[in-house]
Amino acid sequence: MNPDATFRPAGALPASPLAPYAGPWNARLAAHLLRRAGFGGSPADVTRLAKLSSSDAVESLVRFPSTAALPASPELVDDGGMAMQRPVDMTEDQRKALARTRREQELANIEWWMNRMVASPAPLQEKMTLFLHGHFATASGTKGIYGTDIVDQNNLLRGYALGNWRALTHAIVRDRAMLKWLDNARSVKAHPNENMARELMELFTLGIGNYTEQDVRESARAFTGYTFTRRTGQFYFNAAQHDDGPKIFLGQVGDFNGDDIVDIIFKQPACATWFAGKLLAFFVYSDPEPELVDTVAALIRKNDYNMAPVMSTLLRSQVFYSERAYRALVKSPVDFVIGSYQLYGIGQVDPSVVPVMRRMGQLPFHPPSVKGWDGGAQWLNTQTLLARENFSSALLASPAMAPGKTWLLEELPSSGTVATQKLVGTILQGDASPAASVRITAYLDGTGTSADAALSVENFEERMRGAAYLTMAMPAYQLS
Amino acid sequence: MKRGGFLIGTISGLTVAAKADSFFASALAQPLLPGLPGGVDERVLVIVNLQGGNDGLNTIVPHGMQPYYRYRPTLGIPANDVLQINDKVGFNPEMRSLKGMYDAGNVAIVQGAGYPQPDHSHFRSTEIWQTAAPERFESTGWIGRFLDSAELPPANLFNAVAVAPVLPEVMVSRKTDVPAIAALQGYGLASDRRADTRSAFASLVHDDRVPFRSPYLATVAEIEDHAQRGSEELPKLVAGYTPSGAYPATAIGRSLSLAAQIVGSRLGTRVIYVQHGSFDTHAGQKPTQDRLLRELSDGLKAFYDDLAAHGNDKRTLTITFSEFGRRVAENGSRGTDHGEAAPMFLVGGGLKGGLYGEHPSMDTLDNGDVKYTVDFRSVYATVIEKWFGRPTTGIIAGSFPTLSLLA
Repeated sequence: MNPDATFRPAGALPASPLAPYAGPWNARLAAHLLRRAGFGGSPADVTRLAKLSSSDAVESLVRFPSTAALPASPELVDDGGMAMQRPVDMTEDQRKALARTRREQELANIEWWMNRMVASPAPLQEKMTLFLHGHFATASGTKGIYGTDIVDQNNLLRGYALGNWRALTHAIVRDRAMLKWLDNARSVKAHPNENMARELMELFTLGIGNYTEQDVRESARAFTGYTFTRRTGQFYFNAAQHDDGPKIFLGQVGDFNGDDIVDIIFKQPACATWFAGKLLAFFVYSDPEPELVDTVAALIRKNDYNMAPVMSTLLRSQVFYSERAYRALVKSPVDFVIGSYQLYGIGQVDPSVVPVMRRMGQLPFHPPSVKGWDGGAQWLNTQTLLARENFSSALLASPAMAPGKTWLLEELPSSGTVATQKLVGTILQGDASPAASVRITAYLDGTGTSADAALSVENFEERMRGAAYLTMAMPAYQLS
Repeated sequence: MKRGGFLIGTISGLTVAAKADSFFASALAQPLLPGLPGGVDERVLVIVNLQGGNDGLNTIVPHGMQPYYRYRPTLGIPANDVLQINDKVGFNPEMRSLKGMYDAGNVAIVQGAGYPQPDHSHFRSTEIWQTAAPERFESTGWIGRFLDSAELPPANLFNAVAVAPVLPEVMVSRKTDVPAIAALQGYGLASDRRADTRSAFASLVHDDRVPFRSPYLATVAEIEDHAQRGSEELPKLVAGYTPSGAYPATAIGRSLSLAAQIVGSRLGTRVIYVQHGSFDTHAGQKPTQDRLLRELSDGLKAFYDDLAAHGNDKRTLTITFSEFGRRVAENGSRGTDHGEAAPMFLVGGGLKGGLYGEHPSMDTLDNGDVKYTVDFRSVYATVIEKWFGRPTTGIIAGSFPTLSLLA
């Protein structure tokens, strides 16, 4: 890894980074928009957005069509009512069966969301949901978070993806999975648990340095009694266990409850700054300049945390389409996998992809901690890249890639050069050197190797698969 | 990110070692911390992560402390069964192999290892042990920071190796690309079987005359190159090593066998990570923990027999850790819930075996948990300073007394 690397792009910030981009609009930039505001899209999606104006292309993503045709939740794995039993009342066999059921449900949940990401007509909604999942990072399969706890939270995030994030934060502190995850469900007046109060400020809204330990203790008191009912799983305010005494929080005094705490936090200037920094690192480039962060924070405040207009401005801005932002992010494993499915027009993920996601370092619903995924350089190591290449290899060899099902294997290309143009154009938007294209053409034509014959109707499918694999292994394909 | 100065054909143990010398020269020019015999740059650390939270009280059993039997009516191990170290504590009866190594002076036990304000979450506490940063979120691991500071040869693809399916947080660094290798089988590019694909891949991943600029371009190219060459080279590099004796046919046995192979092949590797578990025994603890402890104990015995047969036991130090111990009182399911302090093991031919630190009190508990008596960062500081001869500056925040168990 690069010693002392900073991954902020070289060069200077434009004078008005959020001013609307007015330069040329083409498929290369439409693909950039789709990679960032979605997962890459299909070649047809790229063509469609390239034909619109840049402004209309962004609006089509921010004001997205109905997603009612997609399944709203995964299929439920029947546990025979076991989950409601107390573990002590169960036999060893029943416990094993319950653990098996839970694992099956976990897999169903992951597949459900990944399929939504592949097929949704609202890619920005799914991308923002992924951002929020990494932001309010909650993992299932631990701390009593089983079944559809995490799916319900995911649907909550999705509902607010481009909505008001103050309202979302009010909803998150009442979310069953979050209350379990950060131990608030059992936080009672006599023994306040500080976990949720602390992470709310440290990781979700303000960042270290913008509150004190005293603020953590006082807000933990305010969140006592925020729990859920075991029978329905719905939020329940247990007034008997709530500490309704006066608290001093961020310089204010009052008999605050948890919702008062959220409102006070969102009045802090640091709150919009926190969200702005994370949004920029996720959607634009790593380690954004403090001035840029402040500009986006002001935009968030001006829109009172309504994210549709914020994203609309950001995705149409000069900084977003600048050369400095282009391919300046590392694709996350989700970007890489979902984008590859979309690239070849495969509408559904294969269940075998689940363990592969783990090997790549990003299994949805399983962030490594409440801090989420660090992203950037942390996605890159030999094992995760081997996993990416081997995923490409397996995908290209899969039955979903049969002739007639994908643009890749339509017909025998008229020449290796023509085929290379198609591959480099469609997979990389032309982001390869002339020398690399020459190398791919040589591979397709079988030149330079004694064993291989010229491109023919017998060998072109295998050659195209091999060349597509190589194109997907090039550095540009790892970058967004 | 330099690349291109490294030839595939030259990566043999000897060449790497020779290369390493020049890179170590600047490090060695600084005065080493006192009390270290020679060969520091040959020393290897093996970290064993006992995942899930190992119940320390049924590992090193406080058979001489009566509250133990009161809190553990069904899980308590009778004093007669315990492999006694003294009238207070002893090994779990399944750990005969490790007890034998202890009696030979090759095992140090640090009792009551933990940290202030312990977190009971697997995720967070695992992160705390791996980053050595209980008081803040830290994105690099303590080993990662050690690797970054140790001036290791950047051309060596195997400065450290994680025997694991994904890179553990402990080895996340800013400058050192650590390969995660679950097993030699499957560590490689599926497409590499075709020579033309392999050679095209090797040239295409270096495509840097691209029509865009990206701050990540060089890093991606470098790691893709490492991935291809490393996965191709490693099996060849370690192929000359023949394990001495049989390892148990367990996951930890296989992991340690690979670790011995890497140590013995002298690739310049300084740290190897392996993992074992899951020790998360909320219900029906005894059969699970007994099996895991037996596998650990027998695995370590085979590992050190193998290392010793190749003359590597004195240059290899193994330490174990787990994210927490478990609650003192057993629960209603013959299991135990998440707790706090627990013992750590250090194993090797070059240490002073014995008991270190105080066993935590069983009379005064911290909300039902035993309180830590040794901050685990003392053990880490001991490893950094006394095993690797490096200062802890920039690796471990704060100052922690070292233990006198090495040299």
